[in-house]
Amino acid sequence: MSDDEDREIVRMVLAGDDAAFGRIVSRWQGPLVSLAYRFTRDAGRAEDLAQESFLRAYRTLGSWRQDAAFSTWLFALAMNLFRSELRRIPPRTVSIEDVGEPRDGRSETPAVEEADRDRAVRAAVAALPAKYREAMIVFYFHRSDVAGTAKTLRIPEGTVKARLHRGRELLRRKLTR
Amino acid sequence: MRDEEIDRILGAEEDILPSSGFHASVMEAVHREATTPPPIPFPWKRAWPACAAAALALVGSPVLLVQSGGIGPSFFESMRPVATSVGAPWIALAAAVTVGSLLLSRRFAGERY
Repeated sequence: MSDDEDREIVRMVLAGDDAAFGRIVSRWQGPLVSLAYRFTRDAGRAEDLAQESFLRAYRTLGSWRQDAAFSTWLFALAMNLFRSELRRIPPRTVSIEDVGEPRDGRSETPAVEEADRDRAVRAAVAALPAKYREAMIVFYFHRSDVAGTAKTLRIPEGTVKARLHRGRELLRRKLTR
Repeated sequence: MRDEEIDRILGAEEDILPSSGFHASVMEAVHREATTPPPIPFPWKRAWPACAAAALALVGSPVLLVQSGGIGPSFFESMRPVATSVGAPWIALAAAVTVGSLLLSRRFAGERY
């Protein structure tokens, strides 16, 4: 489905065809739930947040100015919602100071060691201060696309790069063996 | 840990799939939203004359009272027995405690949420 098709569907919904909104949901439910999951690490809450994002999108569909891709508008809207909801009820995380360093894997199998290290890195990202956490999560969600991250977070690209740099620095400091 | 390693780990995260009922659940919520009548807007057109009159009375009455000499030391003197007989100091204290506890609880709640 292309941007033009998104525009056409939005036009139909705005003209009163609510069922057409289902095609938007079909197309974007996977990415939106995945993005929410990266923030919450809770599949149920991720779906709740994604559903609320779709509802908010439905209510404010007329405010999409169509000068950017529909996905850009949708992700930015969702990000705003995630931000306020996660501030209201924070996901269960530990402080970055309390994140365990990856264990010394010399006595474990490579697969166990790798899984352990991945978990430690994700826990450390979740424990970062909000602005670095957001930048890192959205950046990797967008497959390392700085421009896409900037649009989703509605901040300049330079700010995204600075936050990524600082976020990685904090992670490195915590995770260096 | 090097940046490349962090990139590799975070970049390799798999997307998750929504549950099978997610789409239907969203569309049900959208349908509910579409069929719910919009909230009735506050009738400002009808209310504003009353609001303006109330504001005028609130501001104008004390001014008129002062100008007509109705409020002065003698006025407060004459009100003292009435205030004492209805327990005004206790009412004022109770109101202050209520407002104080309300502000305190809001502050605690604000820190949590």
